[in-house]
Amino acid sequence: MMPLPGVLGALLPYNTLVVACGVAAVGCAAGVVGTLGVLRRRALVADAAAHATLVGVALALLVTGQRSLAVLLAGGLGSAILALGLLVLIRAVTRTRDDAATAIVLSVSFGLGIVLISGMVARGVPGSGGLERFLLGHAAALTAADAMLLGTVSVLVILAVAIGLKEATMVAFDPAFAAAAGWPAAMIDLVLVALVAVMVVVGLPAAGAVLVTALVVIPPVVARQWTDRLVPMLVLAGGVGLASGVIGVAVSSASPRLPTGPVVVLVAAGCFAVSLVVAPRRGLLARWRAGHRRGRTDYLLMTEDHR
Amino acid sequence: MNKQAESQPGHPQQPTHLPATSPLQAGQPPLLEWHDVTVAYGRRPVLWHIDLTITTPCLYGIIGPNGAGKSTLLKATLGLVPTAGGRVQFWGQPLAAVRPRLGYVPQRETVDWDFPVNVMDVVLMGATSRLGWFRRAGRRERELARACLDRVGLADLAGRQIGRLSGGQQQRVFLARALAREADIYLLDEPMAGVDASSQEEIFAILAGLRDAGKLVVAVHHDLRTAARWFDAVALIDMRLVAAGPTATVLTSSNLQQTYAGRLGILDELSDAVARGDRTS
Repeated sequence: MMPLPGVLGALLPYNTLVVACGVAAVGCAAGVVGTLGVLRRRALVADAAAHATLVGVALALLVTGQRSLAVLLAGGLGSAILALGLLVLIRAVTRTRDDAATAIVLSVSFGLGIVLISGMVARGVPGSGGLERFLLGHAAALTAADAMLLGTVSVLVILAVAIGLKEATMVAFDPAFAAAAGWPAAMIDLVLVALVAVMVVVGLPAAGAVLVTALVVIPPVVARQWTDRLVPMLVLAGGVGLASGVIGVAVSSASPRLPTGPVVVLVAAGCFAVSLVVAPRRGLLARWRAGHRRGRTDYLLMTEDHR
Repeated sequence: MNKQAESQPGHPQQPTHLPATSPLQAGQPPLLEWHDVTVAYGRRPVLWHIDLTITTPCLYGIIGPNGAGKSTLLKATLGLVPTAGGRVQFWGQPLAAVRPRLGYVPQRETVDWDFPVNVMDVVLMGATSRLGWFRRAGRRERELARACLDRVGLADLAGRQIGRLSGGQQQRVFLARALAREADIYLLDEPMAGVDASSQEEIFAILAGLRDAGKLVVAVHHDLRTAARWFDAVALIDMRLVAAGPTATVLTSSNLQQTYAGRLGILDELSDAVARGDRTS
């Protein structure tokens, strides 16, 4: 029997294979980190960070004149973290509500990014033509070296989650208890948000600033439908993210004018829709059946005797 | 403190003082002491100059109307909200030195009960919260967690997702998580909220067991009817300390009048209930 890479290698050109592996790792890590982020209710914050990456990507190109992916993503991470800092600041010194503050940071930083990019394109800044790829993702444009970079960062992020899982879980579930027990809950929270920001940035080439949040948010929600335990949820979310990433790359490399992001998101959303309906116990079908079996009056008691 | 003295003529200033059976031993610092603690949210003070001393292991109730700052006092005690002034000491030491000896039971509604963990996982969090960074639960922690689940009577529900429990069971899971810290002082925030009467009895029996084992149990509680029966000593709080001491001497109609001023509608009913509670205890 031929080893699997051999089979794939025969079917796919080397570059496509490496890119697929890189995006698979990105999808997996996004699902894993996203699980903790979603459980800690940071989905909207992740979206703000994602939209803020464009400013940094554009500025990195403008300032350094380099268009290597590492430089551009480093810029994106910088502006994402800056946006998160701004969010914390707005919460601390104004009385703006959380969701409003997040929406403001998201839209303002995204608008700024778009203005920067179109200005650079209009002035013909060298390399600025490729920046639109960061809007919706364009994995087909990745080189093997780029994909290696994305894959490596993703693997490191998964490792970080594996190492700090006890701490992250304790804080995500009950920050007050963790803090009372002497754990630096705010710091652990910060690391968690930073990891989410890293994944959002690393996910840019796969899904783009507009859609990358879906890569962090949808797989955990899908996974939650199927399991009541955290570790299985992490694994499942990683798997859904991985599959979405790979299918997205495959489809968009088959039709090169299609951006990767929308495909990735649609695959994840497909998993979501199916899970919503057919998942055991939490799925609509299961709940409908349970409701019928017990009758309306018993429905409220379902939490009690439903193991 | 002076302010309080001015605003509170005729009320005990250095209260608390517990069941006369164990007098404060000379030279031994009190178990728990709040000295002139003031807490403000932004510019708005929510607790003024709280002076309170607990000298003996007991079941101690912190009682007051909604918005009186009871939970805030507990959170300030644990350093979860900053104090604007004053200090809290445990065995004469600051919080940082004694955290491993404290167990906290937050309000039940502060967490997401749809979180993908089961009963055992939550109790294990109590056991592993005492381990160092990145150290996971070993056999010792698992055995401890199981024993704590046993104590709260939830051993057969160990594998159940926490959202599929009744309010009383959820509260007992939280209690078991605190027990797993093997603490000496337990601080509970509204442990009876949303808990049916029979579960309340069970929970209080567990707390009384802790007290009998020499632990101090401080619980925020809002139901005067049960307070009179269950607590050895209470502090009445309405943004400031109204009175504190042994339950029977503190829950008088004049103290309650003062604590619940402005909520007079319920007062007669409550003081009747308290009187009944006193007789049955």
